[in-house]
Amino acid sequence: MTTATQSGGGVSPRPSASGLADVIDSILDKGLVIDAYVRVSLVGIELLTVDARIVIASVDTYLRFAEAVNRLDISQEKEGLPGLVSGMQESGAKSKTKGALEAAGEKLRDFAGNGSDRQPASRRGRGEES
Amino acid sequence: MAAESTKQKTGVYVYGILPGDIELTSDMTGVGDPPGQVRVVRSGDLTALVSEVNMSGPLGSPEDLAAHKEILDACVADAPVLPMRFGAVVASEDAVTRELLDEHHDEFAGALAELDGKAQYVVKGRYVGNVILTEVLSENKRAARLRGEIRGADSDATREARIQLGEIINDAVTLKRETDTRALGKAMADHCEASLVRDPTHELDAVHVAFLVRVGQEKEIERAVKNLSEQWDGRVELRLLGPMAAYDFIAATEPGG
Repeated sequence: MTTATQSGGGVSPRPSASGLADVIDSILDKGLVIDAYVRVSLVGIELLTVDARIVIASVDTYLRFAEAVNRLDISQEKEGLPGLVSGMQESGAKSKTKGALEAAGEKLRDFAGNGSDRQPASRRGRGEES
Repeated sequence: MAAESTKQKTGVYVYGILPGDIELTSDMTGVGDPPGQVRVVRSGDLTALVSEVNMSGPLGSPEDLAAHKEILDACVADAPVLPMRFGAVVASEDAVTRELLDEHHDEFAGALAELDGKAQYVVKGRYVGNVILTEVLSENKRAARLRGEIRGADSDATREARIQLGEIINDAVTLKRETDTRALGKAMADHCEASLVRDPTHELDAVHVAFLVRVGQEKEIERAVKNLSEQWDGRVELRLLGPMAAYDFIAATEPGG
């Protein structure tokens, strides 16, 4: 089941992307788990899956780092870096350095507001088992 | 008693547990659509913060996540709070009282007593991309050589070199993260009760650590973070978040067996 609830019509302010990342880092998978050790009549409610923001280094990560290095503007660097070709083929790459790394990291999917590829996970109620 | 009906229309969302003498001083709305009014359920020396939630829709929108945290964090200035994990919905107020608060009264009261007068802060630092890359290139001859190989070359033709270079950088950043995290821990050691290093959530994360801090130590930790931020000027963007509920230090209160 997909949801399309994020139409932005509500009154409550939408948290900014970085604010939301901070929220998720603090509350996801943290806090008292009542169904694990407290026997409460927990009711099954559907929880939208929130991807854990975990960094797993992969070839993609490496290629992004390499591309960022490729675009690094050598004139910004300190003097005397060992083994660096200075100045050649430099001009075109200026000021592009930024995007590569900034776009690289946020693993936070799905909060931009369209919600189209959310995969709801449901949580079972535990009823009366004892 | 029959099993709780799965067709139930509303449930009671539980945010967290506080001491019994808590009063709500302001109107807050909670999670769900439409969001319910936050209210208290009391029993003995405990209070649960709850709101009614509509069971027909899922929970977990950005607003829901933010509301859960804001409501808990609003409490920490005045009282200790045990945060529930996001998404705890129980059948009724009665279940909150009898099955949650009463049944675990002493355990929760004990945990609250331990948290009394303490709040959590989080220090997050992100490496400044260009600066840290330059740092790595200047410290690692092999990386610098590989850089020379790939510069201006066709990216498919130099794929292997790029992967090697990227891996060297990733390893170097990981090492720097460990070193800088140790430095942060050292700078904070005298001002916190406990600390917990969080997993990085970004490949340029420099530090990401939760600290349990005694009320009255805020100035000290602010100063410690400021000093470090000056020391790392230009290479790490450092932020101090909090005070917030002690999310990272709750697992320790679960019973061992």
